[in-house]
Amino acid sequence: MTDRTRLRTALSGVSVAAVLAAVAVFVGPAGAHKDPVTPQQLKAYEDALMEQVKLGDLLFHGDAATEKNMGVSLSKTGMACAMCHPMTADTHPHTYPKFQAQMAKFATLRDMINWCIEKPNQGEMIDSDSDAMKALEAYIYWSNTGSVLIPGRY
Amino acid sequence: MSELEQDRRDIASVLQQPGARPDPSLKITRRTFIHRSCLVGAATVAETFAWWPLLNTLDIAHAADAPFKFAWISDTHLYPRSLNTRFVEKTVRAAKEVQAMNPPADFLIFGGDLAQLGTVEELELGNELLKEIKIRKVYIPGEHDWYLDMGKKWGQLFGQPNWTFDHKGVRFIGLDTISRAPDYWSMRKMSAKERMDHMSVLDGTVAGPWAGVGRDQLDWMQKTLSTWDRNRPVIIFSHNPLYEYYPPWNFWVRDWRDVNEVLKPYTKVTNIHGHVHQVLYNEIGTMRSIGMLATSWPWPYAPEGVPKLTKPMIRVDPGDPFDGVGWSPMSVAADDKIGTEYVMWGRKEVFAQSTEDSHENIPEKLRPRVADNMWPY
Ligand code: HEC
Ligand SMILES: [Fe+2]
Ligand SMILES: [Fe+2]
Repeated sequence: MTDRTRLRTALSGVSVAAVLAAVAVFVGPAGAHKDPVTPQQLKAYEDALMEQVKLGDLLFHGDAATEKNMGVSLSKTGMACAMCHPMTADTHPHTYPKFQAQMAKFATLRDMINWCIEKPNQGEMIDSDSDAMKALEAYIYWSNTGSVLIPGRY
Repeated sequence: MSELEQDRRDIASVLQQPGARPDPSLKITRRTFIHRSCLVGAATVAETFAWWPLLNTLDIAHAADAPFKFAWISDTHLYPRSLNTRFVEKTVRAAKEVQAMNPPADFLIFGGDLAQLGTVEELELGNELLKEIKIRKVYIPGEHDWYLDMGKKWGQLFGQPNWTFDHKGVRFIGLDTISRAPDYWSMRKMSAKERMDHMSVLDGTVAGPWAGVGRDQLDWMQKTLSTWDRNRPVIIFSHNPLYEYYPPWNFWVRDWRDVNEVLKPYTKVTNIHGHVHQVLYNEIGTMRSIGMLATSWPWPYAPEGVPKLTKPMIRVDPGDPFDGVGWSPMSVAADDKIGTEYVMWGRKEVFAQSTEDSHENIPEKLRPRVADNMWPY
């Protein structure tokens, strides 16, 4: 739906992974005397999350360039998830796992993401451990920060 | 205090003063869709939800010289046929059903968002599909129709975006809440398509508070109303709601205070709006406000700010494209009643019959998105 090539370029760098590898050195081998967490480490962990949140946001909003980059096709109708779920409204990540009537089975959030890709969006289901799935999950959970866990709620 | 909370407090102190209600001749009957618990005090869930019928009628006094009906369709969000036929099918169905109304409607109001991305192809497709409807048609624009070419094609097809006419004792006003967005594109050197893309995303953060009536149009509205008896009915059509429901999704107009100032002296004002793609009801001072369904897709209720008087619509089945959407026939009767019916395809019950069937069953807290505002906008 939207294409923001410059944004994609900014995100596709290996910067966060490199920083995480670097901070891992500070942690040291098992059994060594451990140091308290540093602001630098915390920042790196936060960045790791936000990188996924932003990727997930773009996928969720139908960004064509990000889809292409990640090798997924989440919709064939022109509709993106966000068109029915602004700010991820009504995705209810805090109610999972639960019995999902649409699938008639006990389901996870990832199951339901895939169901929505296949049904309303008529897109191609994605691997439940794939990078795209993790990014979507990260974005949905992050957006619902502060929603209270109620597993199983219909 | 956040800006949003500040707005909330303002609306409460300005508009919802004790005792301010629409004209008392407005009778709350069994057939209204106002949330009864708010009117008679606390009611049990069962009591609250037990008796809501499909057809909703509001009584107003001195409404009409003669009974008549009109019809509302909005938010068809047409893509080119080659990309999405579902929205085309639903527009065709709504048009056929309006044309088949018996007795016929006096006119159709199309409430905006005919197109999805404002292209000539989409707007012409919409114009073509609505030709099925032979009665008089009037149009107001939606943001999806406008921000590719700044209303050029829309204007060629449908004329002035705001207008007024009198019909059988009711003064109708069509408002343009679309065209006065603060310029967010020039500084950022956006292409027309980029401008439209940002405008088309409901939860986008770039286009900002674009919905507004504008001083010039407020003055026009005041002038238009000055020749009208303050106790006679006025029906205002707008794409956006004329009060503050949820600014992050532009479920409001930013100058709602000024709108209220202009309308205050008139005791029987009904605002009918689109844009929200959901059942909504509110009373703001002396104005009643009714939100209409889209034909394209339903939107969830906002995480906060849903008017207390709204009887929520049913939670929708995402596997059925005809669920949660439809159109509305409306009537103005000889016995002075305005009736609003929600035709929701594929549903016997438009309204939630239990807490479980309502969005209220799953409280949620939501954060605004970040990825559209990071680089370079
Ligand atoms: C055409 C509209 C539409 C589109 C597009 C859509 N959904 Fe949904 N989705 C719905 C509706 C309606 C529900 C039911 C909400 C409810 O339970 O009240 C739903 C439910 C869900 C739920 C489960 C919520 C619950 O409690 O059962 C998840 C998770 C979800 N959608 C994720 C997605 C994702 C991810 C995408 C994009 C791949 C997507 N949806 C696209 C309409 C849509
Ligand atoms: Fe719309
Ligand atoms: Fe709209």
